[in-house]
Amino acid sequence: MKKLFVILGFISAVIAVILAVTPLSNLAIIPILLGFICGALILYLSKGEKQKPKSIQYIFLLLIMALSLTIYKGVFVSNEVGDVEQLEQREEENLEDSKEILEGLEIDDDL
Amino acid sequence: MKPLFLALSFLYAGFLLGQNNSVAAGEKLVYTATYNMSGILTDIAEVKMETSEIKTSKSTLLRLKCTAATFKKWDNFFKIRDLYESYVNPKTLTPYLYKRDISEGGYYKFMQYKFNPRTRTVESLKRKKRKDGSTWDENNRLKIGSNTKDFVSTFYYIRTLDIDKAQPGDEQIFTVLFDNEENKVGVKFLAKETINSNLGKIECYKLAISLKNKDLLKDTNDNLLWLSADDNKIPIYATFKIPVGNGELKIKSASGLKN
Repeated sequence: MKKLFVILGFISAVIAVILAVTPLSNLAIIPILLGFICGALILYLSKGEKQKPKSIQYIFLLLIMALSLTIYKGVFVSNEVGDVEQLEQREEENLEDSKEILEGLEIDDDL
Repeated sequence: MKPLFLALSFLYAGFLLGQNNSVAAGEKLVYTATYNMSGILTDIAEVKMETSEIKTSKSTLLRLKCTAATFKKWDNFFKIRDLYESYVNPKTLTPYLYKRDISEGGYYKFMQYKFNPRTRTVESLKRKKRKDGSTWDENNRLKIGSNTKDFVSTFYYIRTLDIDKAQPGDEQIFTVLFDNEENKVGVKFLAKETINSNLGKIECYKLAISLKNKDLLKDTNDNLLWLSADDNKIPIYATFKIPVGNGELKIKSASGLKN
């Protein structure tokens, strides 16, 4: 049983770190919570044992890293549109080209 | 009797021709596209819808321009810089020229339709990029129906409909030319709803959008559009189903409205 939670905890922690690094950092909350639940269950199941499994430390370390990164991104990274210079240039080019095409088209004001 | 008959004739003609009383030049609508998975929202891109007047030597047209650009944090993963534009008759929103210039994560495609409403034909041009950066063109001449429009002008045309006269459950079918194919798009009026938005609490018309005879955008009321229940009928909020989760489009700002 304990082994199952160790595996689940590790998988959750790794997924949490991966998601925290990507722009989908908001979604990292789900594996972070799962990881903490697994960690707590491992602690509960190893109650009474003199030496706690080392795996708990690694799981919590990864989870804390993921949580810190998620909080940092949530607070400091704002929604800004990146470089749109190329898009604006394409807009201008298309507009000039469209004007030329429209001059050659039959336009009926009643249709 | 005669003035009454004249007035009725004008009213009938106005309704029949689908006169545009909602969209004017100078309008700018800004939206945030969001990905929603199990209630956790992640903002992906900014979508802008702008209108402007274009003068040619013979007439004046309305340019309907839609752009989509991913936020900075997404650019290293999947950069989107899309441009959709349609040049339409300002009164009836009949399209004359449509352009779709998309750049999505290294994939580039350009589509152009030159509409001729008199002969009901479209000259289409498809341009794609090869791996070495060079481009290739494909030209086609298509026969279209009398009411076929492009995607952008259809979206704006929905705003000119008399939705206040519709009953819940009423549906109108539009023919949209997309990727050189005519598609039937159903717009069903569901109800009037008041929703919270960045512009405050707004009473809206709730519409369900579906693509007929296609697997995408099925007729399941999952793809919804809320238009403000005033004369402008601006899109306030939209939800659409994608394979994993839901997509949302939320209004950020609106300026230059006609009414």
